[in-house]
Amino acid sequence: MDLFWNNPFVGDLRTLFVPSLFNLYFAFSSIPIGFVLAIAMALLRQSRNPVVSRLAGAYVYAFRGSPLFIQLFMFYSIALSLNLSVWKPNGLDVFVLNPLFLGPFVLILNTTAYAAEIFYGALKAVPRGETEAARAFGMSNLQVFRTVTWPNMIRLAWPAYTNEVVFLFHATALVYFSLPVIDEQKDLMNKAGELFERDYNAFLHFSAAALYYLCISICIFSLFGLAYRRMIRHLSPGSAPGMRFAPKYFR
Amino acid sequence: MPDWLTGFLGDDVGFWLGYITNGKHLAFYSAFRFTLGAAVLGSVFALFCGLGGAMLLRSRFAVLRWIGFAYANIVRGVPDVLFFLFFPLAFEQAVEWVWAQRVCSAEDIAANTGHWPPCPAANWFLSTPEYFLLACVSLGIVYGAFTTNVINGAMNAVPSGQLEAARAFGMSDAQVMRRVHIRQMWIYALPGLSNVWMLLIKATSLLSLLQIQDVVFYADRLGAPNFLRSVGLIHPDWRWHYYLVLFIFYILVTMASERGFAWLRAKAGHGLVAEEG
Repeated sequence: MDLFWNNPFVGDLRTLFVPSLFNLYFAFSSIPIGFVLAIAMALLRQSRNPVVSRLAGAYVYAFRGSPLFIQLFMFYSIALSLNLSVWKPNGLDVFVLNPLFLGPFVLILNTTAYAAEIFYGALKAVPRGETEAARAFGMSNLQVFRTVTWPNMIRLAWPAYTNEVVFLFHATALVYFSLPVIDEQKDLMNKAGELFERDYNAFLHFSAAALYYLCISICIFSLFGLAYRRMIRHLSPGSAPGMRFAPKYFR
Repeated sequence: MPDWLTGFLGDDVGFWLGYITNGKHLAFYSAFRFTLGAAVLGSVFALFCGLGGAMLLRSRFAVLRWIGFAYANIVRGVPDVLFFLFFPLAFEQAVEWVWAQRVCSAEDIAANTGHWPPCPAANWFLSTPEYFLLACVSLGIVYGAFTTNVINGAMNAVPSGQLEAARAFGMSDAQVMRRVHIRQMWIYALPGLSNVWMLLIKATSLLSLLQIQDVVFYADRLGAPNFLRSVGLIHPDWRWHYYLVLFIFYILVTMASERGFAWLRAKAGHGLVAEEG
């Protein structure tokens, strides 16, 4: 048993447990908010008002067309330059400049764009006949959305959205490369890098970190897969596309 | 700055024109060669890795299929930045280890345990060109895993009648693969490849993590608050201006590549549409 605990790889896995919580925090603090905002953004993009839909489209294009790494740097430096004039006088600087706030903030902006693209695609693919039938029943717009559009959209978007969530989790590795590291607030990549600088054993430390990423990715994927199975349980087998670990969109 | 131009534009514009064309800024502009070079070279490597990976995935031997499957799935299962940092480090250490077997005496290695490299003589100092090349290769390996999937899917999409016809002509398996299958596959792979290219373009922003003095490095340097004791504060923190420029630069590159791929798709699909219609 001692031999097991003294194994350097097991030791690394134990050291990396707390850092992995930071990655999970970044991912799961931004996913729910990003989900809601993305649906709102997709609906705005479908709006009849050309100004609104153009603006939403431009937002999605800009955030999908540029690297998350640059976005993190950009928002951090904007926050820094507003520090003396806005944050500091109001006593907000400790809060706003903290990576634990700024990291999820940028990730939310980013995932909103990517997920909005997915939901927009799904929104356009909702069968026209079903919405027309609902309207023919005399349903109001809200009722049509709630009973027909929404369930269809979520079901169509879910496999792609699962990939988006997995790759958002991967993207959390970038946060501490651009935002300041405060004390022991370190994520997997930071900690692996720190361990590497201690004894220069790249194979050991980076593969331990990689194992964490791999396992958590697989967990997310299978959890979302279970939810998907529930969503399509009323459909005949084979009529809905299966889940595949294949990203279409990511940073 | 010629005088007549300054007179024409006014002092302010003249100052700014001078500012953005000073030596440091010219170095900043020339650093874009790293970004674009890494994108081009990395995509070439990715294409080769992808073709190789797809060949492995479709191999007749189970062991090779497993290797291909492991490559495509493990590399996609970890963040690109992890692999991007890991590969150059691991490669450097492997070379140093092999070199140490030749140049280091046993006493040297024993005296130097717990340190890297095994002995000072085996130290391999990497400078920018080597790091750049290693970065391109690791981009190629990471995005090669995505390309593997794209190419494998495209090869499945090639109508089986074409392959059967080729076989009926008496071509060997290798000939069918080389002369028909791979050539017909490109049109189906193009949408997926354009996706991978977009990802790769965005991943080139990570070059500064490997000590390459790329645009992100210069944006940080040039924008940082500039203070000279003899003059005082020259400019405060201007970093976000520079990052905004990079933000827009990447959006423009994305736009241009979208146009490029749309053109390519129209051109490559020329015969195909007529065939279907």
